[in-house]
Amino acid sequence: MAGVLTVPAPRDRRAGRLARLLGTRIAASVVVLWAAVTAVFFLLRLMPGNTVDVLLARSQVSPQVRAQVIAAYRLDGSVGTQYLAYLGRVLTGDLGESYVLREPVATAIGQQLPDSLALLAATMVITVVASVVLAILGASRRPWVRSSFTAVESLASSVPPFWLGLLLLTVFSFTLHWFPAIGSGGLPGLVLPSIALAASAVAVVTRVLREGLLHALEEPFVVTARARGTGELAVRFRHVLRHALLPVTTILGWMAGSLIGGAVIVEIVFSRAGIGRLTLSAVQNRDMPVVTGVVLLAAVIFVVVNILVDVLNWIVDPRTRG
Amino acid sequence: MRVPAIACVVLALTALVSSCAPGQAGSADHGPPRPGGTLRLAIQKEPECLDPHQSPTEAAGTLARPIVDSLVSQDATGGIHPWLAIGWTISPDQLTYTFALRQGVRFSDGTPFDSAAVVANLEHVVAPATKSLLAANLIAAFSSAAAIDPLTVEVRLSRRASSLLGALATPYLGMESPRTLGGSASDLCTRIVGTGPFISDGGYAQQSGINYRRNPDYAWPPYGAGHDGPARLDGITVQVAPDNAARFGALSSGQVDAITAISPVNARVLKSTPGFVLYSKQMPGSNYSYWPNTERGPLSDPLVRKAFRSGVDWAQIVRNVYFGVYEPAHGVLSPTTPGYDASLEAGTAYDPAEAARLLDQAGWTGRDAEGYRTKNGQRLTLRHMWSDAGITDVAVQVQAAARQLGIQTVEENLDGGTYVDRILKGDYELTDTNFSAPGPEVLQVLYASANIPNPERGLNNNMARYDNPAVDADFDQAMQTTDQAARLAHYDDAQRQLTEDAAVFPLYTTVDTVAARDGVQDVEFDAGALPGFYDTWLAS
Repeated sequence: MAGVLTVPAPRDRRAGRLARLLGTRIAASVVVLWAAVTAVFFLLRLMPGNTVDVLLARSQVSPQVRAQVIAAYRLDGSVGTQYLAYLGRVLTGDLGESYVLREPVATAIGQQLPDSLALLAATMVITVVASVVLAILGASRRPWVRSSFTAVESLASSVPPFWLGLLLLTVFSFTLHWFPAIGSGGLPGLVLPSIALAASAVAVVTRVLREGLLHALEEPFVVTARARGTGELAVRFRHVLRHALLPVTTILGWMAGSLIGGAVIVEIVFSRAGIGRLTLSAVQNRDMPVVTGVVLLAAVIFVVVNILVDVLNWIVDPRTRG
Repeated sequence: MRVPAIACVVLALTALVSSCAPGQAGSADHGPPRPGGTLRLAIQKEPECLDPHQSPTEAAGTLARPIVDSLVSQDATGGIHPWLAIGWTISPDQLTYTFALRQGVRFSDGTPFDSAAVVANLEHVVAPATKSLLAANLIAAFSSAAAIDPLTVEVRLSRRASSLLGALATPYLGMESPRTLGGSASDLCTRIVGTGPFISDGGYAQQSGINYRRNPDYAWPPYGAGHDGPARLDGITVQVAPDNAARFGALSSGQVDAITAISPVNARVLKSTPGFVLYSKQMPGSNYSYWPNTERGPLSDPLVRKAFRSGVDWAQIVRNVYFGVYEPAHGVLSPTTPGYDASLEAGTAYDPAEAARLLDQAGWTGRDAEGYRTKNGQRLTLRHMWSDAGITDVAVQVQAAARQLGIQTVEENLDGGTYVDRILKGDYELTDTNFSAPGPEVLQVLYASANIPNPERGLNNNMARYDNPAVDADFDQAMQTTDQAARLAHYDDAQRQLTEDAAVFPLYTTVDTVAARDGVQDVEFDAGALPGFYDTWLAS
């Protein structure tokens, strides 16, 4: 309640604070990115087996080709030199060339990124819209309404995405022919995958939002609003929602990062191109340049989304403007 | 394993759907072939690179084949026939092959196909910068190539290699336009240009697929093709759909015309569903097999290996798990491999009494509290490293059968790195895999002592770690002779010795499949069992 007691800051001081907030967040982000890159490099080292063996698995090559591969990827140097050389390349924006795909990592990621961003955006939109609507409908003091919403949420958050995906495919693609079963083509191809990916997120966000709404509905200002004759839905949308949003924006920021993991499964089930499948095959083939490139990308997305969340919180809730 | 179980549930649902769809009874007569139409195909595995000179994968071979032709073609019995080369002579020392090239052939970018193009292709395959993972090794004996005149090319070998013509017949040594070979390796991974019946303008897009259109000028099909002239299809669109249930659902709901690599469960559903056909070919090469470590551990004793082979009812396990979709295998090679010796099958029959006798003879006479056989207080335990989780159902049944014999199998599903590491160290008793190849030369890949994997040599394919100078000699002599009957006699002797030694436990013959709706006619498979669509046409 500190915001209520202090005098509102002049506009230029508020802008200065926002800039400072952004400054510290970006500085912290650089540390996060470095840690992510470093962790990935050493974790891949710790995995059993030798990179060149995995790379050349199931293929018959001469010792010369083997030596050529080792030299080309500097797999013969010490871990320290490999790490420093690698860090230097990342700093200059050179993510290297994929061992397996035989093309620059930036190209490989660039090819798959649009499809993944489309999936991510559609999933976020579905999550936000569905959660807000469901939470407002479900924020009832009647126990049977709340418990039935809770039951559906528990079910939705515990259903594995691949199973939900196959179920959606069977009903809406194989049987009803409403949506295509395979491929990334256009808007129709986006509907089922984003629903499959959003389901558990919707369940979690709805629950958090509903609890917040129920809590806020007990506040005195709601009584005041109702006393003024404001309708029930208007009370919820205009007055209560803002109070319940703060934890939700934080969760959404965290989710954007975790969706990349879920995307792997959804992309396989729906035969969609995307970063998830690229990551899976890169990990299986121990294609280190691609793995590190994807981790960097995920870290960047995570960091950017979280900075946006902080700014959003700053706008939504005066208490965070410290 | 939750995934297969769930997939079965959905499969049951899709089966219901497809059996409700209107379909024709049996395979109707569709009349004479007619041109036109685009085939919509969904494939399971995608290549990491389209260029067959670089990639070792079957997927690359399959997707490159519509675009590239080869110098020669191979039939199912191992016979070599002219293709882009109309003839060839082999020097008496067998070190020089002289090919006469077909006249009037052009790559789809307009470049003429001539001796310079052949030289450029072979040099591209072996160039270190190409980092070829298979093609270069298929022609490991290659020394140099020279253009004698525009339509005559001479290939020199550093040592005798009777496998050369068979290698040249595979898509991995397909002819690409020399104009493209100078470009970067990654460009070729996306787009290749050949003389073949189809052209891909956009090339291959990772994770999504590839589109082909008919090459209107095509007039040089391989031996055994069903027609002359351009392909019958206007084009083919290929999408990558890695999930079995999704791919099958796309076929059964009419969203694609054909799919590759149908799972055994789906194949059974499809066979009882009107309106669909299943094209399949048993793959030549090695069967899907359990491989014993013959170098150390209990299975280094031939008696124990023979006991394990005759004491487990492998054929019944295959019938239980794959319900007739895969045929139980009985030989070192698959029955469709040229030179397969069917007379050796009798020696591998199921005989548990004989197995018990052999184990007693090998000294595993003790029994511990759990009923397993012991020798000097040590339990007879075999660690089975899975090469793929798909072996689960088989492994469970083999484990139960081994238990009956008093043998314990420890099932190990490992990550790729650990698996490779232990293969190199020889730290296992059993593993499993198959290895398809168009000819009996695959025996050398799988059983020559020079191909035992170890940390110095790197990964190699003699996973049985089999080391037998007599068999090595067979392989060497087979490479020395270009006389087909003499070559096959050497490989026959190798098969006999490998069977006597129980160097492998064959499970089933792998099958390459294309499942399609009924209107898709004439899907062919080449000598390596890769599907081809040159003759394919759409009846509806």
